[in-house]
Amino acid sequence: MKYRKRLLSVLLALALLAGCAAPASQTGSLLPGQVQTLRLAGGTDWGAPNPFLHQSRGPGQARMRLVYGSLLEKDETGDVGWLAESWRQSGSEYTFTLREGAKFQDGTPLTTADVAFTIDYYRAHPPVSASLGAGDAFLVESYAVQDERTITITAARTDADTLSALGSFVILPRHIWEQVDDPYTYTGEGYLVGSGAYACTGYDAATGSYEFTAQNDFCAGTPAAQRVLFVPVSDPLLSFERGEIDITDMPADLAGRYRDDPSIGLVEKSDDMGTKLLVNFEKCPQLLDKSLREALYWALDRQAVVDKVFRGAGSVGSAGYVPPSSPYYAPGCVQYPYRPGKAKALLEPLGLELTMLCADSGDDLAIAELLANDLRAAGVAVTVQAYDSATRDQMVNAGDYELALVSNGGWGNNPPDYLRTVFSDTAKNKGGNPHNMGPIGYENAAITALADAQKAEPDPDRRKELLAELQVEISREIPLVVVATRSSYSMYRKDVYDGWMKTYAYQQAEQNRLSYMLR
Amino acid sequence: MRKNWPAFVLGGMLAALAVFFALGLWANPRPADLPSGDSLQPPGAGHLLGTDNLGVDIYAQLSGGFFSSMALGLVCAAGAFVLGTAAGMAAALAPGGAAAAVDLVIHLFLAMPQLPVLVVLGAFFGQSRAVLALIITLFSWAPIAKQVRAAAAAVRGRMYVRLAARYGGGLWYILRAHILPEVLGLAAVNGLGVCGRAILQESSLAYLGLGDPLARSWGLMISKASRFSGIYFTDYWLWWLLPPVLALLCTLLCVRLLARWLERRLPGRATGGKQDGAA
Repeated sequence: MKYRKRLLSVLLALALLAGCAAPASQTGSLLPGQVQTLRLAGGTDWGAPNPFLHQSRGPGQARMRLVYGSLLEKDETGDVGWLAESWRQSGSEYTFTLREGAKFQDGTPLTTADVAFTIDYYRAHPPVSASLGAGDAFLVESYAVQDERTITITAARTDADTLSALGSFVILPRHIWEQVDDPYTYTGEGYLVGSGAYACTGYDAATGSYEFTAQNDFCAGTPAAQRVLFVPVSDPLLSFERGEIDITDMPADLAGRYRDDPSIGLVEKSDDMGTKLLVNFEKCPQLLDKSLREALYWALDRQAVVDKVFRGAGSVGSAGYVPPSSPYYAPGCVQYPYRPGKAKALLEPLGLELTMLCADSGDDLAIAELLANDLRAAGVAVTVQAYDSATRDQMVNAGDYELALVSNGGWGNNPPDYLRTVFSDTAKNKGGNPHNMGPIGYENAAITALADAQKAEPDPDRRKELLAELQVEISREIPLVVVATRSSYSMYRKDVYDGWMKTYAYQQAEQNRLSYMLR
Repeated sequence: MRKNWPAFVLGGMLAALAVFFALGLWANPRPADLPSGDSLQPPGAGHLLGTDNLGVDIYAQLSGGFFSSMALGLVCAAGAFVLGTAAGMAAALAPGGAAAAVDLVIHLFLAMPQLPVLVVLGAFFGQSRAVLALIITLFSWAPIAKQVRAAAAAVRGRMYVRLAARYGGGLWYILRAHILPEVLGLAAVNGLGVCGRAILQESSLAYLGLGDPLARSWGLMISKASRFSGIYFTDYWLWWLLPPVLALLCTLLCVRLLARWLERRLPGRATGGKQDGAA
């Protein structure tokens, strides 16, 4: 009897081993174009993928949005339905109809009661990415649930972006969150249950690993992979070469190696990663003198940043903030070439001593080193303080700096509404996200008026004109120093998976939800 | 003389390294902290060992790294020598309770895993070289203390020392006349071993990003070069990554071999055997 048991367990173990060793494509049947597993470089903890716990930056938000569904999504040309199958606008009223069969990952049907609950819950507890805004700026004035699948939301203001904003908040399961008073610390049962195309089935903060498993009965489409894994890698490019990950950034120095390879696909991210130097004017009131801010620009050899750090792939930042390759770029912006002599004449007599906050990873440190050298040459005593990027973000959000170097993606977003969230005195510095942190201790009525007016302008051409005027004004007033924008490519193996895409608004293929859907 | 050839060879190699790097610092017109050329220029005229991504001369950086690493290593070695000798003597010679307490502290430090604790301390107090030296010293004295304690206890137990005590020799006299001469050589040689380990630990911490991020150290050079995306598919690693690795390897090897040779030459240890107790 004992012997038989032992034999049985050995056979069972062998069967399990055989199962593990079987090639991925042999397990389960896949639709054309579908893959068993997509692997991406992990290794960084972007927070638990739920609306209250993810890190504010793009990768954190993207992981959360795989798990949680919203009413609308963006494709290459415009807004498309996601959990909502249709929508219509009448004045400030937006009526959404949910798809049939929409449900949460624990099997509970998703109804308009959940949408209504989410709106109320976000009003009381703003999530990390608060597309509905927060406090007095909350976008929803009221809502009316018509039936289980139809809800009418009345917006507090209607402008060109209202539909996108209403369509992009992610919906919480009411039956879980109605019992939670403090969502910012809650990690109890159901804290990762969403209504997206993928469920989070594995998350390890220490190693920055994530596992997402396809929900094959998802109502708004078919997941392109049965599993999406973010695995820690020591060198993404070597891992890509070895086939351990399926997509990574192409280093500019190796463009020749990969561009001509027919098995490699590329998604261009034109001027999408930008770096700016923020000034906390409360701590450096001398810089409220505009001529000194001009001198900062003249002191910096920003072309060297493009050449040396970005390896030539990018542009010197436009002082109007929107990068030159954007269709919204205003050519009339004031240009500030590198004039070290002129900068020194203005800055050196002041004997300024400043600290520059930066991240200790990526290119930030190299940029900080170049800028600090330039500023020292101009007579400004600069001390560089480097912290891990999460700490740097926290310090930027708290205004705990004199100068801060901040890099982030999304500069190629269209339309560049970030001009409002960074520069408008009514929208900037709301905390939560360093992207939206603008100058502290500095106000500018003309910039604020233009930034708010473009947002309210429904005519696209007129809006573009307003955005151009706004850029020229920003370049003239210099609320912050735009250093440079980087262009890069995501590269992937076409034979593994060919569905990577960028939306009309956002260029990071790895962070777009539709990149993970069969289309 | 013939017996001492390893010392001459190793000492000569260290001296040659020092001269090479002294030239890099003082005879090389390129600064170690500012860009002086184009990005990633290969070795050649103007930049003997090429430049890094920011255009900073590699030879100048390597040279700066040698002297800062050596200075740190020697400071740590001196600190560990003084602390280790004092603690070892106290553990061997102090009256019962105090000796046991010192012994406990020595074993506590011996039992602590060094790198993880260094990483945590570096994260909290890092970025200053003085703090770094202090932390490395704190984690280097215990092995020396253990050896000194054993040696001092052995000497103290010898017949002539006990006799000297019987004839009225005070503790200070016995320490000066009998114990210190036997023990100092041992402690000094182990101190030299600390020098090598300190250089390695500093490089490890810098590699992990826990030192001053803008300092010029070999660990940081290795860290920056190896994190440069795609470096292994270009030639850049030849002049950006390889030189600091080789410099670190050569220096550490010389220091460690010298320390080991000296240890074997200590009185009463000429037979060799298990000598690397401080490892």
